[in-house]
Amino acid sequence: MKNTFMMVMAVVAMMSLAASAGTISGKVSGVTGESVVYVEAPAGKTFPAPTQQPVIDQKGLMFQPHIVAVQQGTTVQFLNSDSVAHNVFWISVGGNKKLGHNLGTWPKGEKRPFKFDNPGAVPLLCNVHPEMSGYVVVSPTPYFATTDKSGEYKIENVPDGSYTVTAWHEGAKNSSKPVTVAGDSKADFTLSK
Amino acid sequence: MEMPRRVSPFLTLVLTVVLLTGSSYAIPAFSRQYGTSCTTCHIDFPKLNDFGKAFKDAGFKFPKNDEDFIKVPQVMLGAPAQKELWPHTVFPGTIPGLPPIGLRFNQFFQVTSKNANNYNLGTTGQYVPRTDFQPGYFSIFTAGNFGSDIAFWVDDDLSVAGANANGSLGDAYLRFVNVGRYFKLPTDSLTLKVGQFELDLPFTQARAYDISAYDIYSQANIGANLAAPGVDNHTTLAGPGRGIELSGGHHYGGYRYAIAVVDQNTSGTPPTNQPNVPSATGVGFVSDSNFKDLYGRFAYRFNLERDPASRHDVQAAGATGPRDHTYLTLGSYYFYGRSVQRISGESAVLTGREPFYRVGGDFDFNYRKLNLYGLFMYGHDNSLVLKLAGNGFIPGTSAKFNGGFLQADYMALPWMMTILRYDRVQSTSDFLNPTGGNYFMPVGSTRDRVTPGVQFLIHANIKASFEYAVRPRQALSYDPTTGKALNPFRTNTATGALEFVY
Repeated sequence: MKNTFMMVMAVVAMMSLAASAGTISGKVSGVTGESVVYVEAPAGKTFPAPTQQPVIDQKGLMFQPHIVAVQQGTTVQFLNSDSVAHNVFWISVGGNKKLGHNLGTWPKGEKRPFKFDNPGAVPLLCNVHPEMSGYVVVSPTPYFATTDKSGEYKIENVPDGSYTVTAWHEGAKNSSKPVTVAGDSKADFTLSK
Repeated sequence: MEMPRRVSPFLTLVLTVVLLTGSSYAIPAFSRQYGTSCTTCHIDFPKLNDFGKAFKDAGFKFPKNDEDFIKVPQVMLGAPAQKELWPHTVFPGTIPGLPPIGLRFNQFFQVTSKNANNYNLGTTGQYVPRTDFQPGYFSIFTAGNFGSDIAFWVDDDLSVAGANANGSLGDAYLRFVNVGRYFKLPTDSLTLKVGQFELDLPFTQARAYDISAYDIYSQANIGANLAAPGVDNHTTLAGPGRGIELSGGHHYGGYRYAIAVVDQNTSGTPPTNQPNVPSATGVGFVSDSNFKDLYGRFAYRFNLERDPASRHDVQAAGATGPRDHTYLTLGSYYFYGRSVQRISGESAVLTGREPFYRVGGDFDFNYRKLNLYGLFMYGHDNSLVLKLAGNGFIPGTSAKFNGGFLQADYMALPWMMTILRYDRVQSTSDFLNPTGGNYFMPVGSTRDRVTPGVQFLIHANIKASFEYAVRPRQALSYDPTTGKALNPFRTNTATGALEFVY
């Protein structure tokens, strides 16, 4: 009897979990290369900042990786692995030029942190090597994913509900669409530059 | 030697702007090789920033860990491990993965003073146009590193002023960087350059970014009316030297020296006013004398940042990113040579050897967007005069000149540089020369000008430049009673240039 009760409770719990957390998957087309798809924050909803601090390196006169997607509130460490001087600056966050910032100069092997408190794409530049380009895409929620080479993406563990999902690609105009999550949901995007 | 009294004014205009214009170079080949913008090394091409100076000092390589930055893999001329087998194998080197070739073209538009044709009054068929379009150089250049710190450079003008193949070889040399390491000398204290090259001038003329050349660098000491044979020295510091150069130090901080031994400038009666042109008598040789000219330079650059790490690095650490240092460079230079003249004496061809020297000092100050620099030069030529009997020489009146320039560059925007320059040359031999040899040549003992200018980078490799040279009023003759100038004229010129490298 006791065992039967436990099994029923486990099944109920699993069904409950399955009902409250789904996935959003789909494809971003019209562009080539990596895109970032993220779920916009529902009104009034906030999420605790993650403790992980991803690293963006400057190596061989390039930002590596070229695109990093993070959750809002994440601290990113900017490393200089080159034997030449670099700096990192951006002129806007999500198009808001008031959020532009310059991290200055630091020598080889050292890192400089920055906490991204505002959502949106952050175009990284170096004022010494103008060809250098990178992006931090700051998602307002922990629900985001980077596409693979074919444009496919999958965002997991999204609670059931109605959301706005946005696709971002370097140089393209953002595309957003409403998505209702109930189990597995689909959202395809076509972007253009 | 008497100069021609009337060179075609049109030809003069073209030659003045095109030939005397600094033949500037930026190296797009390096952009390809490293996948980086011209502005990594240049402020306003071909003007180098501190990193560009360090790149050049290192033998056209990144100062540290060069291989980490090369995007086009180099071709190995032997595995690195072959070094261990030397001298039983050829020492391994590299060549660039892509031929490091850059090309450059420029063109000009020029406006001259309204009264320019007072210069030609009384001369039939001579006319200085008010405006003129002129094609400039089409040049090719290649540079890089062969491994083992052996750098190379070759540049050549394929076409000048719209005509084919009448350009000339510019610099062409091999540079063995830091050979002092074989003698256990401090790093970068000894580098050897062999070939044809611009002397290590305080401020380069060959890679100048102004439209018009520095007047003092093109100053030759030619005293046509001095007692025969007079001074007939066509040497100018604008011309390349052929020989070897030992140098050391860095252009981006600390000491810098250079000692060069180069062919003596060809003497006699060269076909043109250009320096280092083989004379008719020197067939097969570019010099007609055993003597070699000597050039030496020493300079010290004080980087003025307080933070020692920033002060000693290639670039200073600014609050918003690396930048060129705030610095003051003080330097001096000395050139010693002999001018040889061979003239027909009473019974034989006589050879006169006239020692000469050029000496001067320079400074260069940089503070953020402002760069202020200048140079002074004094030139002195001993003169030999043919004895009346025609069987030898006696000392004559020395020919002298002095002058220099002062220039201020201000980077109003990262793509716009404003320039203000003052040139001055004062020469006794110029004063004695016949007037009117050339529309732009001085008719008095002094030629000076103020030249404001502005340059715009349309892209990092395309530039539009403008300058306006304001020169004093001149005249070919003066009223004998009043002393007033007759038919005065100015040789003011407004020049626009458009150039691109790729």
